Amino acid sequence: MRRWYQTLDYVTILLWLTLVAFGLVAIYSTTHSPAAEFLPLSVRQNYYRQFMWVGISTFGILIALLLPVRFYQKTAYLAYAASILFLLAALVFGREINGAKSWITFGPMSLQVSELAKVGTILGVSQLVASRRGTQSDLRFAVTMIAMVMLPAMLVVLQNDAGTALVFVGLIPVLLFWSGVPYLVLLLLLAPAVAGYLSVVSVPWAIAFSIAFGLLIWWQTQDRKLGLIGVAVSGGTVAAVALALLKVLQPHQVARIMSFTDPSAQEYRYGVGFHLVQSLAAIGSGGLTGKGFMQGTQTQGRYVPEQSTDFVFSVIGEEFGFIGSALVLIVFAVLLTRLIRMGRQMKHPFGMMVAAGAAGVYLIHIVVNVGMATAVLPVIGIPLPFISYGGSALLAHTGILAVALALHMRRDDLSIYGFYT
Amino acid sequence: MIGDSGLDSQSDRARIFSIVIVVVLGLLMARLVQLQVINTSEYTGESRDNSMRELRVLPARGAVMDRNGIVLVDNQPAFSVRVTPRYFDPNSLPLLAELLEVNEEVLVERLRQASEFREYLPSILLNGVPFDRLSRMLERIDDLKGVDYEATQKRRYPSPVRASHALGYVREIGGDELTQRQSSGYRPGDLIGQRGIERIYEQDLRGRMGSDFRLVNVHGQDVSSFRKGVEDVDPVPGRDLILTLDADLQALAESLFVNKRGAAVAIDPSTGEILSLVSKPDFDLDQFTRQITSQQWAGLNASVSKPLFNRATQSVQMPGSTWKPLIAMIALQEGVITPEETVHCAGYHPMGRGKFFRCMHVHGDISVVRAIQESCNTFFFEMMRRLDVNAFARHARQLGFGQTTDTDITEQQAGLIPDSSYFNRTHGRWTVGYQMNIGVGQGELGVTPFQMARYVAAVATEGLVVTPHLIKASVDPETGALEAPDVPPPTPLDIRAEYVGLAKEAMRRVMVNGTGRGVQIPGIESGGKTGTAQNPRGRDDSVFIMFAPFENPQIAVAVMVENAGFGGSAAAPIASLMAEQYITGAISREWLVSRMLETRSDPLPEPKTSVEIRDATGD
Repeated sequence: MRRWYQTLDYVTILLWLTLVAFGLVAIYSTTHSPAAEFLPLSVRQNYYRQFMWVGISTFGILIALLLPVRFYQKTAYLAYAASILFLLAALVFGREINGAKSWITFGPMSLQVSELAKVGTILGVSQLVASRRGTQSDLRFAVTMIAMVMLPAMLVVLQNDAGTALVFVGLIPVLLFWSGVPYLVLLLLLAPAVAGYLSVVSVPWAIAFSIAFGLLIWWQTQDRKLGLIGVAVSGGTVAAVALALLKVLQPHQVARIMSFTDPSAQEYRYGVGFHLVQSLAAIGSGGLTGKGFMQGTQTQGRYVPEQSTDFVFSVIGEEFGFIGSALVLIVFAVLLTRLIRMGRQMKHPFGMMVAAGAAGVYLIHIVVNVGMATAVLPVIGIPLPFISYGGSALLAHTGILAVALALHMRRDDLSIYGFYT
Repeated sequence: MIGDSGLDSQSDRARIFSIVIVVVLGLLMARLVQLQVINTSEYTGESRDNSMRELRVLPARGAVMDRNGIVLVDNQPAFSVRVTPRYFDPNSLPLLAELLEVNEEVLVERLRQASEFREYLPSILLNGVPFDRLSRMLERIDDLKGVDYEATQKRRYPSPVRASHALGYVREIGGDELTQRQSSGYRPGDLIGQRGIERIYEQDLRGRMGSDFRLVNVHGQDVSSFRKGVEDVDPVPGRDLILTLDADLQALAESLFVNKRGAAVAIDPSTGEILSLVSKPDFDLDQFTRQITSQQWAGLNASVSKPLFNRATQSVQMPGSTWKPLIAMIALQEGVITPEETVHCAGYHPMGRGKFFRCMHVHGDISVVRAIQESCNTFFFEMMRRLDVNAFARHARQLGFGQTTDTDITEQQAGLIPDSSYFNRTHGRWTVGYQMNIGVGQGELGVTPFQMARYVAAVATEGLVVTPHLIKASVDPETGALEAPDVPPPTPLDIRAEYVGLAKEAMRRVMVNGTGRGVQIPGIESGGKTGTAQNPRGRDDSVFIMFAPFENPQIAVAVMVENAGFGGSAAAPIASLMAEQYITGAISREWLVSRMLETRSDPLPEPKTSVEIRDATGD
């Protein structure tokens, strides 16, 4: 039997610390330079609050590492149920911050339950995968899994936080992929996402993609029907997106979605586009080496709105340049691939699912967040894991990681269950 | 479907998942390369425009003094109202126009220029705002977002000297000039020298604007220095200029030109320092320190008497008999006559059978000195008949005639010195008769008073050609050290000093018992020559050239009075009084001053059309 300190993945903890440190540095820069004297006191305290949350999260990791594997499996559904309950409670009693009614106050702390619900959902779905019996039909299993994800997603939508809800929806293909859905089905699930994105950027390309996708399916399967389904699914998305943009959505919603395609255009420049113009100016002007810690003119002049939360990447991009921002992406890439590796080492569906779920959640966050800050994706306000200011998100993201770490550390305990027994 | 996954399949999927992660993050990194490595300069500019404010530190424009240190131009405090277009609400324009008491259209235009220049930077909306209007505006400043003011300076003219054409004025920079000079630190609303000294020595007088670059936040609040001030530029104060002008002489000369049109140029014959440069009518420089209205401007431009026109350097006319000493010197140098040789004057030159080349008197046999002294036309017709016109032109050009001079007066006309190619060009077939008129300073010939002064100086110094100039020194703002201008040294004339001496002696005799004897300076020997130049537009122009004292001349003067008749009557007294003032520092002949105040140029006819077009070299 290996001892706990032989199996704990220190590298992951180091990577986590690196990212958290990046976040603290960026938040410090936005709140402690000479420019900060113009900030309200509550904002100036953000750094200390985040520091406190890092402390709480570290404590959370320690607790998580102490708990046995069995505990997680036994309480997985409970955690899921609790998440749903909290989401419902937030809808009824919750506090509204920035238009999203997803906050519950515990004494001095306000928690964004939609963030914490990610942990419960991943645990719940992982347990679903782990407890699956060979006799169960594939379809029924898949539908149950999707339903388990969509339930919190719907509640979050009701809380008026479409960005966070999108993370849940984005989790579905990841979980399905990991639990062994055929590639073809997965492609059919992902194609609409690509087609939808392309139809915002350029409708001709979206149509070309739909046709190419259908041909690819046809060529791969030698089945004309499946090819047509492929065209229909992606082409239908293109039509739906076009219809939504032209007829259904309000102009300000359209502007929000479209603005990233040309942020400095007159119709966006002083609206949503302002975020993007300023974020691009910040990141782009950072150049190769950046303007230096607390020397970013965009950051110090607070030109990028939400620069310590959703647009924190612009602070790093401006003050630490390409070297700094690329380093963040590399650390993320190492952390995520390491999580996948940890999943494989666990050789157990529950642990694998937790690790993959964590990697999936982070990946969606990173792509959406950095894609938004660099104006390749529409403005969707979700945090950059471990880096953005915000206690709930930090706690939730660290929580998933902590569970994965704990399961991985005690993977010898898991192995006795075998695989799909 | 879902159940077919074993361990192998799981590790395949793990590999695929890892690849997806690396590819997706790699794409984001490619985007970072695009933003931060390839296009970084574009975004750098954008972020600078956003967050950088330039606080300009305006150094005082240099003062201008006369040769004795009398201040001619300095500065007084003024206020400029500024606007930052990005924060300015155009709906408050009428209020602003009302408070500043200016036409709203003026502000609309200035606002448009400011917006084109830079949205986020304050630009000057109106210069020279009086304090009371500024206070009224400040009372309503809460309704005028994006408007502020800065304390600036405007020009002040504390001495009685006008010297409008020599000094020039400053105006707000605009249009193409602004576009060209933006890189040298000029901004909309900045003042720039437009004429005269103010224009030529713009760089010295202006100094260099200093810049403090400040970082402002998204709300426009000044946060800190920009990039720790590494780009800040220290201001360099403007240089004070000491001119060669003599304020007392200039003031006297200007007063003597009352009711007259014309010009006077006085120079130090051995150095070329311009002691006085008068062109009348002139204009009030002080009006340019206020917001000059378009009516005032149109009035200055359209006036028949052309006050903006610098007659001293731009008015081209025939020199009349003042030309004769020059022809005499050239004739002697070219050997077409000797000092003793005589020419017979029967009251006309025989060519043209006495119809065209007439003399005022019958001089009989006359030699060169007496011919100048008595201003015999026949003699000089004959000299010009004998001379090669190209030899004449070469000597005249060496004295600076027929061309502009490279000096600190930009507004100059070249005038006209004909040579054979000129005659070929203009007349095709021509005879010696065409050039004979030149002998008496008439015909196809054009000179400016500025050129004449230089010519007199050359006679006075017996053959030194100087470069007339206005600047004596500029003052280093830090050390106070005087820096002399880079003036070309005098060059010797291609005419033997002996011959120049003959012309000089002849001019002395003019003053003793010739046409200049009425304007002799009491107690000071001098040389002079009257001239009466035909003016196609009315009474003859009165011309006079003079130098004094005869030995070691200190001043050389050329005076021209338009439509005032005989040279001795109007131009000569002015020149004589100027020379006396400069040499003795006072005027002993008050009666002559009074007489001069009464002498006037014939009034100009009312213009038939609003704009009079004249051939620049033909009048």
